[in-house]
Amino acid sequence: MSEVAIGIDLGTSNSAVSIVQDGQVEVLPNTFGERIMASAVGFREDGNILVGNEAKANVVHEPSSTVTSAKRLIGRYFFSEEVKKAQAICPYQIVEGPEHSVRVQVREEVFSLPEISAMILRELKSVAESHLGHEVSKAVITVPAYFNDNQRQATKDAGKIAGLDVLRILNEPTAAALAYGFGQGLTQKVAVWDLGGGTFDISVLEIGEDVFEVISTAGDTFLGGDDFDDRLIDLLADEFIQAHGQNLRQNPHTFERLKLAAENAKKDLSLEDTVRIEIADVAKDEEGNSLSISRDLTADDFSKLTNDLIQRTFKVCDEALQQAGVLARELDGVVLVGGPTRLPVIREAVKAYFQMEPKTDVDPDVVVAMGAAIHASELVAPQQQAFLLDVTPLSLQVGVAGGFCEPVIERNTPVPIEQSRTFTTVQDNQETVVIRVYQGEQKLVDENELLGQFEFSGFPRARRGDVEIQVTFAINSDGIVDVTASEPGTGEAASTRITLSSGLSEEELQSILSENRTDRVLTDMVARAEEAAIPAAEPLPELETAPPAVAAAVASAAASMAATAPAGEETLDLATDEDGGVPELEVDSDLSEGEMNALLEGSDEELTQPALQETTAPAAEAAPAPPAPAPTAKAAPAPPAPAPTAKAAPAPPAPAPTAKAAPAAPQAAAAAPEAAPADDLFDAVGTDLRDGDPADPDEDFELGS
Amino acid sequence: MAAVKLAELRVLANIVEDLDYYQLLEVAPGATAVDVRTAYHSVARRFHPDRLRQEGPDVVAAAERVAKRVSEAYAVLRDPRRRRVYDQQKGGGERRLQLVSGGAEADRQVSQEREGKTPNGRRYITLAHQDLARDNLKNARQNLQMALTFEPDNAWVKSTLTELKEKLR
Repeated sequence: MSEVAIGIDLGTSNSAVSIVQDGQVEVLPNTFGERIMASAVGFREDGNILVGNEAKANVVHEPSSTVTSAKRLIGRYFFSEEVKKAQAICPYQIVEGPEHSVRVQVREEVFSLPEISAMILRELKSVAESHLGHEVSKAVITVPAYFNDNQRQATKDAGKIAGLDVLRILNEPTAAALAYGFGQGLTQKVAVWDLGGGTFDISVLEIGEDVFEVISTAGDTFLGGDDFDDRLIDLLADEFIQAHGQNLRQNPHTFERLKLAAENAKKDLSLEDTVRIEIADVAKDEEGNSLSISRDLTADDFSKLTNDLIQRTFKVCDEALQQAGVLARELDGVVLVGGPTRLPVIREAVKAYFQMEPKTDVDPDVVVAMGAAIHASELVAPQQQAFLLDVTPLSLQVGVAGGFCEPVIERNTPVPIEQSRTFTTVQDNQETVVIRVYQGEQKLVDENELLGQFEFSGFPRARRGDVEIQVTFAINSDGIVDVTASEPGTGEAASTRITLSSGLSEEELQSILSENRTDRVLTDMVARAEEAAIPAAEPLPELETAPPAVAAAVASAAASMAATAPAGEETLDLATDEDGGVPELEVDSDLSEGEMNALLEGSDEELTQPALQETTAPAAEAAPAPPAPAPTAKAAPAPPAPAPTAKAAPAPPAPAPTAKAAPAAPQAAAAAPEAAPADDLFDAVGTDLRDGDPADPDEDFELGS
Repeated sequence: MAAVKLAELRVLANIVEDLDYYQLLEVAPGATAVDVRTAYHSVARRFHPDRLRQEGPDVVAAAERVAKRVSEAYAVLRDPRRRRVYDQQKGGGERRLQLVSGGAEADRQVSQEREGKTPNGRRYITLAHQDLARDNLKNARQNLQMALTFEPDNAWVKSTLTELKEKLR
């Protein structure tokens, strides 16, 4: 029997699981026949965890112990705007974890976001398993196209915690296009307009029968259907303040009722022009009389409330079309994805923007899960029916002196790809550089997302600008980013695999896996097993342990995880070639799956590009040595020769074992004391995180999210 | 999987560094944008790592190596700006173009052409810009025509002239 891999749409508001069986794509229903499951996790007093629509239904009763919209927080730094916003509106507690990561606290217990998402994934996995009657471990999970690497990695970790082998993290609009064009033999240029609960994505694709080529993608991870609800909630709450002088936002229970009413009103607007919002006994006045909300809402009212949000999506569309070099009218179709796209208000706006009727032959709620299943099945057993040529949605950059970034791979570059750029040292006799890797489109490091950093040393001392350091970024088909630094003169090389910073350190991930709190989820399997005995409406009885089958599966998954030392943290490898040979081309072979890593922090040295030296390095001005801005690197586009260093040269076998065996930290520790002393230039760039904590050179620096 | 295809992949992976972008995509130097895209799809169809996952890690690694260069070739040849820079540089024997600076280099060239590269050329181009700002298309045409005598290979002047002639017709 051929292997089965499932496709999972892990959404902000709703999730779904799908498989391909006998060439048919099927979205799997749970025990209650529901194909769409709310991405809600409810923590019960008895310690059990409820996931899905039942948890969502309970949110009004237990708002502070029900976690919703966790996807808005996953892979984010605690100081990010989105987290602040969520803190203001979420009834559950959002707290700061180690390294600026985000945690949620429920009933005295603290959970990481990957753990919360894992509970949802666990449930979906179990839905698939009860449908198939056997265990499933391989999966493709979708994320918004505009998710950065930290968010992707956190999602991958969630899969791992749920006992899944995540074959691929797939972009949601790409998945939707796959489902739209699968088996149709289309030759079309399409745009996928994807408004989810928490994010907006637009992708432009060229479909050529079995080939699905993404030409460009753009998005806004701060804009989703939730924002539309918020507008409605604000309207209701503000009107209530005006009428009765009471702020309904202050009571979590009442707030949840407002939220639910807003959500329902929005949904009803996809079917009707006018909806009535009724919330009885929402508060009491001074004399103890019950107060209610009762008002009509028209599609027109709603449109006015949310028009600016819709317009924001079109700005992003402009960007994507421009990057693709395509005009809206040149498209053959527009595919709508996401629950909010059922709203006539939105459909009309999209129609006006693209000057064409959007496609209605796909179900916007499940199309992403279907696409994920198609891709999953092609990955485990290629039918050669549909394959993807994707792009990298965000630019990858290197931090240089002065707090600036220099791109190495620009956004919308087709992947897999490998690109190199040459930088130079910024100080005389510099011995170490810190290579900081950023993702984003901004010039300033602070405005981009820090993905990770590593230290590179071992090159000869020389005047600043005289040492050339070549930084090579490679994105492979799995979306894993490898970064190598090398010095063409000596062939010294260091590399790292940037699969880091889900906000979970290796230890944390291990302890999560061993603690196994996702086991407390009353999964579909459990529900099914208990179904006969318990009426669905009654509270489920407390379960001490999961049924043997599930427990065994989880235990074995946890064991294999522990054995293979999951990626998920970033690896730092300083693989130097003592023979002075040339660094190896394939970073892949330097690093194996199971490598652990410790992020290094605190080197005082920086890379710079020659051109930047003059303008951005005050230290260089003050220094006695004559400025030697090597015009080579910048002026000459990509010195052709350097590429061979990283590429053509035969790979010396030595680096690989070094990289694997030697933990990064000792090497770094050895390197650090030798490093040239810090000066003010590096004080300026040494603080990467926005809260401005000066980096402690002695601390291993782990990225938080 | 046909053995022939795998053998071909192995050979390709070995020589991939020696191929220029046209050879990688198997297109002629004069290939149109549509040709380039079709060729990209066809090479991907044969050698995309996702289609070869069942063939084991060695094959996938070889496919990755090829795919990385094919993506690069495609990123250059589908982009007229980068392609122009690449074609010029290829004359000097260079087989690769750095994507980032390839774009920047093209922008730099364009901006240089917009200002003129010779003293006399610059003079007439500056006049032409002033004419264009005043919407005096005829004078702009004359000045650009003059500029072209000093800078016969200035692509910006040429394309702007063509546009003007079209408008004045």
